Amino acid sequence: MDWKGTLEFARGPFFEVALIVFVGGMAYRLMRVVLLGWSRDRVPSKGSKLKGVVISFLKGIVIWPFVPWVKNTFGKKPVMYLAGGLFHFGLFVIIFLGTPHMLVWKSLTGYGWTTLPLPVVDWLAAVTIVAMAALFINRLVDPVLKLITGPAEWLNWLFVFLPMVSGYAMTHHLISPYEMLFSLHMIAVNVMLIWIPFSRISHFMFYFFSKTIHGAQFGKRAVTP
Amino acid sequence: MNTQHALDTFVEETGGWVASQLEACTRCGICAEACHFYEATGNPEFAPVWKVELLKRTYEQRFTLSGKAKLALGVEKRITDADIAAWSKIVYEACTMCNKCAMVCPMGIQLGPIIHDVRTAMSNAGVVPEDLMAAVNKQVQEGSPLGATQSVWEQRMEWIADEWEVEIPTDVKGADTLVVFTSIEIMKFPENIAAIAKILHKGGEKWTVSSKGREVVNFGFYEGNSARTKLFMKRLFDAAVELGVKRLMVTECGHAYDALRWTAANIMDVPAGLEIVHIAGVLGDYVRTGRIKLKKGAFDEGTVTFHDACKIQRRGSHIKEPREILKILAPNSFKEMSPSREQSICCGGGGGIIAIKEADPLRYAVFELKMDQLKNIGATTVTMTCSNCRLQFTDSVEHFHLDVKVRGLSQMVADALE
Amino acid sequence: MSEETMYQHLRREGVTRRDFVKICGLLAGAMGLNTFPPLRSSGLPQSLAGEPNPGSLVARALASKPRVPVLWLEFQDCAGCSEALTRSQSPTLIDLVLSKISVEYHETLSAASGFQLEENKMEIMKKYAGKYLLVVEGSVPTGAPEYCFIGGRSAEELLLEAAKGAAAVIATGNCATFGGIPKAKPNPTGAKGVSEIVRDKPVVNISGCPAIPEVFTGTLAHFIVFGALPELDRLNRPLAFYGNTIHDRCLRRAFYEAGKFALSFDDEGARKGWCLYKLGCKGPTTYNACASMKWDGGLSFPVQSGHPCLGCSEPNFWDGGGFYQGQSTPLSKPTLTALGVAAAAGAVVGAAVAATNRSTKKHVTIE
Repeated sequence: MDWKGTLEFARGPFFEVALIVFVGGMAYRLMRVVLLGWSRDRVPSKGSKLKGVVISFLKGIVIWPFVPWVKNTFGKKPVMYLAGGLFHFGLFVIIFLGTPHMLVWKSLTGYGWTTLPLPVVDWLAAVTIVAMAALFINRLVDPVLKLITGPAEWLNWLFVFLPMVSGYAMTHHLISPYEMLFSLHMIAVNVMLIWIPFSRISHFMFYFFSKTIHGAQFGKRAVTP
Repeated sequence: MNTQHALDTFVEETGGWVASQLEACTRCGICAEACHFYEATGNPEFAPVWKVELLKRTYEQRFTLSGKAKLALGVEKRITDADIAAWSKIVYEACTMCNKCAMVCPMGIQLGPIIHDVRTAMSNAGVVPEDLMAAVNKQVQEGSPLGATQSVWEQRMEWIADEWEVEIPTDVKGADTLVVFTSIEIMKFPENIAAIAKILHKGGEKWTVSSKGREVVNFGFYEGNSARTKLFMKRLFDAAVELGVKRLMVTECGHAYDALRWTAANIMDVPAGLEIVHIAGVLGDYVRTGRIKLKKGAFDEGTVTFHDACKIQRRGSHIKEPREILKILAPNSFKEMSPSREQSICCGGGGGIIAIKEADPLRYAVFELKMDQLKNIGATTVTMTCSNCRLQFTDSVEHFHLDVKVRGLSQMVADALE
Repeated sequence: MSEETMYQHLRREGVTRRDFVKICGLLAGAMGLNTFPPLRSSGLPQSLAGEPNPGSLVARALASKPRVPVLWLEFQDCAGCSEALTRSQSPTLIDLVLSKISVEYHETLSAASGFQLEENKMEIMKKYAGKYLLVVEGSVPTGAPEYCFIGGRSAEELLLEAAKGAAAVIATGNCATFGGIPKAKPNPTGAKGVSEIVRDKPVVNISGCPAIPEVFTGTLAHFIVFGALPELDRLNRPLAFYGNTIHDRCLRRAFYEAGKFALSFDDEGARKGWCLYKLGCKGPTTYNACASMKWDGGLSFPVQSGHPCLGCSEPNFWDGGGFYQGQSTPLSKPTLTALGVAAAAGAVVGAAVAATNRSTKKHVTIE
């Protein structure tokens, strides 16, 4: 198998196309939803909507276990909290604070930054992979998840899992040749990029809508979100 | 049954607000963990995310290219009559729209209001639980779902004024405040009305009730029907305009406050400058400003706790006032339930459920969660600011033979007036 | 061309027996001979199979074999690989091997030129048919052959002709192995590596720009000693020299792991000898012996001297995304215009769908 040629393709034209589809797809998704019509809120506010919005977004960042809202939310489902939280945390660290990925951002945007040492990111990657496995199993056994999960949810998991494990295998040179792992990683990433705009992985964009609405609704009523 | 009407309703009510939240859902299922119906029964179909499933499906099948394609290719199925019937049961009998799910959703999705939208679709399809619909129709025709017709209402009011020796000003033009009671109070807790009358007089309020705008309860709101919701509120607004009042006071009712204060302006014309207030807020205001003085420790015995009503506390903001009052009335015996305040567990009787006989088993099942809360702190008295909660507590306490006194806060305040 | 053995030749040149044995030990080490290839397949007589160590095995082999004729063809090249070989710092080792070959034809090095030399080449090819070694330097222009004509004949024709009678073909340098710099985009000459043209014979690729002299001679020595080509990787490069990446043998590897990187040339990190990954080092995907055997007789190699590895022993290294672009970066990315167009197109389609949906909403009738 010509892995060198595959690698050139995956890092080259395939990546280019994937990025274009990603950007175009996200723009499509955003416009399709945003332009569906909004109505003005004519109900007089009691409290500050802005304050509610700020607290709403803080809830998403202040996620330590001892925080009351965390206890109330995840008290009954620690798996979701641990696995889901660790997965997202690991994901952000790997993508933004991992040296090879930072260099990709630098080549795309022109800006680079300091990154974390390899063993730290690597260890976190292992944790992230374990967290994803836990989430997979959870989705298989939890009664609510069994009901609401369809093929799309499994694909969401798969298309994020493959880049993770291929990247991990790459770092550790688990199978030779290295070009094969690199190719598989790039192909997995490209597939993921193409899939994101047309799936619920794009929740990272709609997060800002729902969190703002949430904060405004509670802030309006002068209740802590 | 007209399934197409339901689907069309879904389409009509899905704008940017609903759509962006439907898109935000990651299918994580945490909303179920906050739903007392799921917690009490373990039935995954009660998960809030599942309750809005038909709305989500319609949105995808009608508004998205991939959804349309999947429907055309047969990968997705059309929504059937059976689906509407099944979901109608779930959203009317296994949901009180307490909105606790919105508080735990990591994306912050406002599931309560969205489930309300599902009820609207069910109503338009003509698939509403019989008991509830009967009550709605009664309110349309008689002005009250509980049989408080004009004459019954007048009789009861006269009797209350007489029995408790309070004055209940009626149809007074130029009063400051129009007070609208619930038929639950009128028919089941008349002492509440007397208590509120007593407090308002003591507080020097220039108030009145209206014989035309006499029912604050809104069964159209429970039904989710837009026309009827507006109709019932219009009766009150017309009365307010006719009497020239500055503000409209909702007595011990939850959903009426949600409808009048937080929904009306967005669905109909509301009289300009008319302030909507709740008795819980008014009580707090009176105490803070010294308009009324309360006997300290008047209810200081056993363990007294407060039940936060979903629509008055979590969705209405009057969390501090009851506690300030109870600090005076029961400084040594007051204990909080856990969780409480905006995280409070719904009593299980709201959203019209208490009117649906069929839903009784579920209603009692979720009340067991409240029972555990009461038992955990050894509560001997529980008080609240919503008559519907009071009805649910009273009925369920009897059903479970609990040794707990159920009181309305207004009544406690009236009893402790100095 | 004499028929004397290599040992005899060396003795005649004044190398003592002791030195000869020492050199053979070095050579064996250079070939990575700590485990022998199966002796039977090496064609060595049983008597030699009983040698106690690789050094003596090499010694024995060299002592008993005659010199190998070599034809060295150059096409689209810079002659850098030849230069590296002849300018190497360990003359005894290189010389040992070079003297074991009789370079019968070399465009750059031969004193003779023109038709005289070409005639000589044809004679050698006839006389030693099936026995001579063909070494090729430089790429072959197949798209525009006029760019390399020797004596009125195209490079491709000359290559195929010479390859026909060769015992083995060694492509030296990135140009001959993978097309090299002439192949860089847009590849105006249609440059190709030897193995894309010579199909019927095994081609050993000693890639690099230039090829490390010791790697070339080590491979050659293997052929001379064992009469067979060494174990090759997927790109037909000798595994002994191309089995590990620069990254895996790099002296700065610890800094990579620790996250200490030079951010620009001559900054503090650079002066402290930190990892050059962020300056575009292609070490992780480059297979060569630079980090272990190094250059100039083991003196240094690019990373050690402070410059990131260019990946010059890999195919298409010139188009590999820029020498100072990170090794992990994409090889091509959409222009800002392309992304803008994509976003606009997506937005337009999204707006159109939204407009259709709004119209659907308006025209829905519910009694």
